[in-house]
Amino acid sequence: MSARFAASDQVAIAGYAQSPVQRHADKPLGAVALDTALAAIADAGLDVAQVDGFTTGALFPTAGAHTIEDGVSIVTANWMAEHLGVNPRWASGFQGFGQIPGTVELAVNAVASGAADYVLMHRALHNPPGRYHGNPMREARGSAQWMAPQGYFGPLAMIALPYNEYLQRYGASRDEMAAVAVEARKNGARIPWSFWHDKPLTADDYLAARVIADPICMYDCDIPVDGVAAFVFTSAERARDLPNHPVLVSGFGMGTPTVRRIPQHWPLDDIMDTAYETTRRLWEHSGLRPDDVDLPQVYDGFSPFVWFWLEALGFCPVGEAHAFVAGGGIDSDAPKALPALSGGGALGNGRMHGVPQMLECYLQLSGRAGDRQREGVEVGVACHSSPHYGGAVAYRRA
Amino acid sequence: MSERPVPVPDDRSRGYWDAAADHVLAIARCSRCGTFAMPPDIVCSHCHSTDPDFTFVPVTGGGIVRSWTVMHQSFLPGFDDLLPFVLVDVELDEQADLRTIGRLLDGPDAPLALGARVVVAFEDLADGVAVPAFTLERDPA
Repeated sequence: MSARFAASDQVAIAGYAQSPVQRHADKPLGAVALDTALAAIADAGLDVAQVDGFTTGALFPTAGAHTIEDGVSIVTANWMAEHLGVNPRWASGFQGFGQIPGTVELAVNAVASGAADYVLMHRALHNPPGRYHGNPMREARGSAQWMAPQGYFGPLAMIALPYNEYLQRYGASRDEMAAVAVEARKNGARIPWSFWHDKPLTADDYLAARVIADPICMYDCDIPVDGVAAFVFTSAERARDLPNHPVLVSGFGMGTPTVRRIPQHWPLDDIMDTAYETTRRLWEHSGLRPDDVDLPQVYDGFSPFVWFWLEALGFCPVGEAHAFVAGGGIDSDAPKALPALSGGGALGNGRMHGVPQMLECYLQLSGRAGDRQREGVEVGVACHSSPHYGGAVAYRRA
Repeated sequence: MSERPVPVPDDRSRGYWDAAADHVLAIARCSRCGTFAMPPDIVCSHCHSTDPDFTFVPVTGGGIVRSWTVMHQSFLPGFDDLLPFVLVDVELDEQADLRTIGRLLDGPDAPLALGARVVVAFEDLADGVAVPAFTLERDPA
């Protein structure tokens, strides 16, 4: 990709909708997704017939043996178009891991290239009945043969290894991680649609929680939910004539490691080496610098990602994020701190897989955050997934 | 017989599991450039040969601990009776950053630290099926 994004600030988010985030919705996921899509289209001041492009990242992030069924446990772009009664000019899904940046990029590129004029992007997350990651497998075939026979299985062990590697290398502690979970839940408690609305967490609650894959405890993990968010993208020019203040997409940083590993083996250096290249690309692509960012939103599907992203973005030196956060460095109520989880993140909303970071950037930059609105917010960066598989998107208030 | 998931060898992994059954740790090595790969891939991730002709070469089984976790809950059948158990991320001696993951059989109170030396051990799951694991290396003194 060329260093500077040719379509920087030329495509805008014109509207959005977010469903309630619930443990189990009272409608099938596809029905919730349709309701949310229709609300987003109306919010943007459009009719369904004007929407000619559709995109999503449909990944169902479970290690369990759950059935993948379109409209039930996932919702693809084509399912969405069909059930809205639209024959789309363009429909495409992002297939990689760390869905939001890749999906936003598809939406932006479709608008910038003229493949579609109004693109609906959605993300639908499902919490199936039964254990989310439990798997009854008795025979380990294919990639599973390198993990399951020795009991290395699922995302908790996956994140526990680089987390402990960080703790040991930099002399950090679980006690310091309490500040991450408490900050996420404090902000999530203020958000009406959040699963954790009005339910903040104390450091004592955090430290007393069940440890699952030491040093990972229950509150280091986002809770599985049913929930859908949708956003409408169009050109910055067309967005000026629509009801909401547009938020422009300035650029992306993404990447994936090339080291051969056992599946889901994420050594700390693999994460951070790729992370630094991803953020370097972000600054180059967007034309922004870390100092320009009023509103960083770091990914927190597992709490250690908060430390990793803060270091990758250059907001604190290598190996110091644990002390930075424990010292109040991301307190959204402190005037000089970085409001890095002001949107509540995944820990404060539920497993929306990167949506809260994007949504908070949109709401704050468009001036639509209501009681939570922050002053003078012009540039936001939303980070998604692990820094070595997801990426970051830079947004600017039009 | 254990209820744990048993590996189902395929064309690319059979050499690993055949060696493990004999309590030997054998790692795939590219016949073109000599680089070890764990696990073996379709192509060599180092020299990118599409005809790597991986061979399974016995290694010493020694290495150092790069990280670990103590599992208090399992998401698979057959592990509940073993809880809590330790998983170690091991860098094998044969090549820089050649890493694998296995159970540490010394128990959850084993004195672990980054750089601790471990050596391969094996768990027999069934007749002719063994899974590589590790134990802390005893002080040579």
